[in-house]
This record gives sequence, structure tokens and C-alpha cells, in this order.
Amino acid sequence: MFIDTLLIGISSGAIYSLMALALVLVWRSTRIVNFAQSGQAVLSTYIGYEITVKTHNYWISLPLAIVCGALIGSLVDLLFMRFLSKRIKSGPIAEIAPVIATLGLLGLIQSLIGLIWGNAFLQYASPLSAKGFTFGTHTVPFSPQNLFIVIASALVLGIFGVVFRFTNLGLSLRAASFAPEIAQLAGIRVGRVRNIGWSFAGAAGAVAGAVITPTSTLSPNSLDLLFVSGFIAAVIGGLDSLVGAVVGGLVLGIGFSFILQYISSSVTFLVGFIILMIVLLVRPRGIFGKGVGRNA
Amino acid sequence: MLNRRLTPLSRAGILAFIGFVLLILSRFVGELRNYQGAQVAVYVIAISSITLLTGYSGQISLGHGAVMAIGGYGAALSFSLWNFPFELAILFGAAVGTLSGFILGVAAARLSGPYLAGTTLALAVGLPTIADQFKVLGGEQGLSFDIGDAPTWVRKIGGADFTQYKWFFWICIIVALLSLWAITNLLHSNYGRNWRAARNNAVAASLAGINVARGKVLAFTVSSALASLAGALFGLLLGIVTPTAFPLSLSFAIVTGAVLAGVSNLAGSIVGAVVLVAIPEVSGALATHLGGSQKVTANLPGLVTSLLLILVVLFMPNGLRIKKFKGKK
Repeated sequence: MFIDTLLIGISSGAIYSLMALALVLVWRSTRIVNFAQSGQAVLSTYIGYEITVKTHNYWISLPLAIVCGALIGSLVDLLFMRFLSKRIKSGPIAEIAPVIATLGLLGLIQSLIGLIWGNAFLQYASPLSAKGFTFGTHTVPFSPQNLFIVIASALVLGIFGVVFRFTNLGLSLRAASFAPEIAQLAGIRVGRVRNIGWSFAGAAGAVAGAVITPTSTLSPNSLDLLFVSGFIAAVIGGLDSLVGAVVGGLVLGIGFSFILQYISSSVTFLVGFIILMIVLLVRPRGIFGKGVGRNA
Repeated sequence: MLNRRLTPLSRAGILAFIGFVLLILSRFVGELRNYQGAQVAVYVIAISSITLLTGYSGQISLGHGAVMAIGGYGAALSFSLWNFPFELAILFGAAVGTLSGFILGVAAARLSGPYLAGTTLALAVGLPTIADQFKVLGGEQGLSFDIGDAPTWVRKIGGADFTQYKWFFWICIIVALLSLWAITNLLHSNYGRNWRAARNNAVAASLAGINVARGKVLAFTVSSALASLAGALFGLLLGIVTPTAFPLSLSFAIVTGAVLAGVSNLAGSIVGAVVLVAIPEVSGALATHLGGSQKVTANLPGLVTSLLLILVVLFMPNGLRIKKFKGKK
């Protein structure tokens, strides 16, 4: 029972990590918490769904959904966020304008999805079984799809890790978020690099949406709770840290899974809120945050 | 009405006059308009709680729907379980909300911008699930908050055809005007000035001897008091409080309403409230005009609201008062 709960926790934690990673990528480059992230992810999942309807093949739809997710992220930055940051620099709303704007974007994306596909629950089927593995006579709740979720998330996190650590692109991404002016002086096109950050975030969200949706149903709001978990995970890890996002996601996933198993299903988000409050009050920069994180 | 040169007494006079006119008007319009008028009054209170919090104190909350739920549940619980009269029940709901707002505010004062937004968002998602945990809160079915018809003395004033919706309208309008009066006075007092000072420049404000953190906690507490008052009235209008009556979209809606008319403009809360009530009706009519398929009808209100929100944030971020704001700076 303990192992089962742990495995399920790792599987959902992997998804939270991806969502947290998407938030961290955008936060690091633009100091915006992208509340539209769940909308972007669900839109790319709908595109993946549409492709499976046409081709009946999940394995074709998955990479295409990821590419679309990256494109959506890039477009959101180009058409929307740049415009916003140029227009709003002062006034009582300056600090909250990005929050409001991304919320508006979330509503816009979700109602557009509703207009195109309707609000009914759809099945985005994957060829992998959602039935648990059986060892002898004992069937565990951990299924091939869960295994795939863990593998896909690990792969994405690994690729991002390598890109950030060992490539020029990763170096310029880190430089552009750490010190934009100096990075620009050093010849980095900060705007373009930021845009790449947004598209990476969009791709991470798309992976999360496309691998988790086969385990439940697809609707315009189906990833909203995932966003909240991702946010909690990102804050636990310190909004600035990629490693923190992954660890935060896993901690939260495993924690939720044990609460679900041993206490009750309906208190999970309340517990999430309490964890979030404790982390923010005790260690506002998160477990992996560095230096002076935010200014109060 | 909200001019700073007016004294509290003259403001009270003007608001009383507006109230009188509205109450007379309620006799001449239909049931639906009375109900919508009551809705507008409730939204005015809820939106002004955000205006106070965001526009004056510079904090943001995406969880005020949850605070409204606290008010609604407090009122319904005291009404149905302890048989409070409904006036007291509403006040009790607001008191519970104020207390929770104080606790939240202590935490919120230490957070800024997106952190606060995300935390309150988690609250909005998490809090309604409590109702399932405790039997006394009624679970999915919720708690009844049906106050019935108006007492006889009110019906004597109101006339023979004084229906329940007219009664709701009267209650909500009177509470809304009283709240507006209180908030206006508060915002023009020392407290309001300190909030604005701390919002514009926290360092300068604390150098001038303003306790910034205490001001933030106070603002969150007052704002929660208003939101829970609105929540109690919201429950009264519905006749019942359930976990689903206070969804995440309610939290977003009141923030939208506050932003639409300029977030530091108290009179704008009335405009925002009218827009929030009008959007479903207008877009419903539009959807019927467009052919009225189920997809369109279900999603047009959301589309219109989000578009309005985005356009306002991009093109009139400080609402209609932008020139005035620059002038005072």
C-alpha cells in the first residue's frame, strides 16, 4: 500500500513538476507569474486531441501538441506580453496588471476553446493501458500510462537541464533573466531569448497536458487545478529555481497522494494552501531560492 | 457623491436621497429587474472590497470569492442552526469574515504581487472543499438561507404587491449604500491617506511614520469584512449557500469588475457591478441573435468578459481617472 501510494505520488508529482517548471521559466525571464499557463496547456492538449481524432494515433499527436504548445507560448509573448510591459509601467495597477492580463488571457483561451470544441468532457485516448500493473495476484494502481508520465516528464526535465547547463542557448537564457541589461551589452538578444523561454514554458505545459489528460477527461477547465498545484510546487521550490520546481513538484505530488490515501480526498487543496502559507511565511524564497528572493 | 470636500453627513444625505429614489423606483419595475438590482448592489459591495484592497492598499486577492463564502456560510449557519434573525445573521457572517480576513491579512502583508495572487488563488480553490468535511456545513447540498417574505411593517410601507424580490432589493440597496458611505469616509480619513501613501512608495511612507504592515493588515481586514458582507447577501439572494455557489469564477468576476472601471475608483465599482450583471444578459441576447447554439450561449459571456478585461488592462489600465491620477502625482 505504501509503495502504491508513493508511485502514484511520483506520477502526479512529475506532472506538477512540469507545470511548476513552465511557471518558473516564465517567472525567471519576465518576473510574471503566467496565470494563463493552464489555458495554454489545455489549448495545446485540445490540438493534440483534434489530431488523434484525425489520425487515430496518439504518438503522432503528442509531438505535434508539444510543438503547438511552444508556438502558443511564443505567440503569447510576442502579441501580448511585450505590448503589456511597454504600455504599463506606473500607476496603481502596474504591479497587478500582469496578473490581471494573464487571467484575462486564461478566460479568453478557455472561452474560445468552448466555442470551438464545446464544454463537454472529451476523451483524449492513449494506447497505453490505464489499468494498473499486476504482480502475481496483486494489482497496483500504478499503470503503464503512469509509467509513461514519469518517463516523459523525466525526459523533458532532463532535456531542459542539459540545455540550460551545457549549451550557449542555456547560458544566454540564464544571463538574460539574471541581468538583462548586461546580457544585452554582451550581445545577447534579450527579447528573442525571452521569447524562447516562453516557448519552452509552453512546451513543458503542453507535455504535462498531453500526458495527464488520457488518465481523466479533457474540458476547457480540466487543467486549472493542475495549475494551482504547479504554482504551489514552484513556490515551495523557490520561484527562481528549476531544480526547486522539480523537487517541489515531487514533494507536493507525494504529499497529496498520501493525504488522499490516508486522510481524505477533499482536503488536498486545503492542505496545499496551508503548505503554501507555511512555506511563504517561514521561508519566502522557497527551499531552493537563492539570496534575497522577492522584496516584500 | 464621493467628492473629498463633502462631509460625512452631506455624503449620508446624498446617499440617502439616492436610496430613496431607488426604493421608489423598485415599485415601478418588474420582478427580474428588482432581482438584478439586488445583484448589482451585492456586486457593488464585493467590488468595492477589491477597490479598497487593490486600488488603495496595493494588494491583490484572487480569493475574495472564498471570503464571500465565509460570510455566506457564517450567515446561513447562524440563521438556520441557531435561529438568528436574518439581520443578525448577516452581521454574524460579516463578523466571521472579518476575523478570517484579519488572519489572512497578517499573512498577506508579508507577500507581494504574484505571490499574494497565487496564494489567494489556492485559498479560493481549497476553501470550498471544507464544506464537504463538516456535516454541520451541509456538504454538497449546502445550507438553506431562506428569509421568506418581508415583515408586515415593511409591507405596509412597500404597498400591497411587495414581493420577496422587492424585499431583497431593499435589503441589498440599503446595505450597499451604508457600505459605500462607510468606505468613502474611511478612504478620505487618515487610514485611506496612509494606504495610498504606502502603496505609492512604501519606503517614503514608513519614513513619514506610517506603519506600512499594519496598514496592509487593516486594509485586508476591512476588505474581507465587505466581501463577507457581500457573501452573506449573495447567499440571501440565492436562498441557499453551497460550495458551488462561490466558484473560482466569482473571485475572478469581482476582480474583473474592479478593474473595468479603474481599480482606484470607488464610484467605478457601481459601473463594474452593472457591467457584471449586464454581461450575461447582453451576451445572451447576442448569442440568440447569432443562432443560439449551445456552444455560443455557454461561452459568449466568458469571451466578452475576458476581452473587456484585456482591453481595459491594455488601453485604460488606470480606468477613466488616469488624467486625474497623473495630475495629483
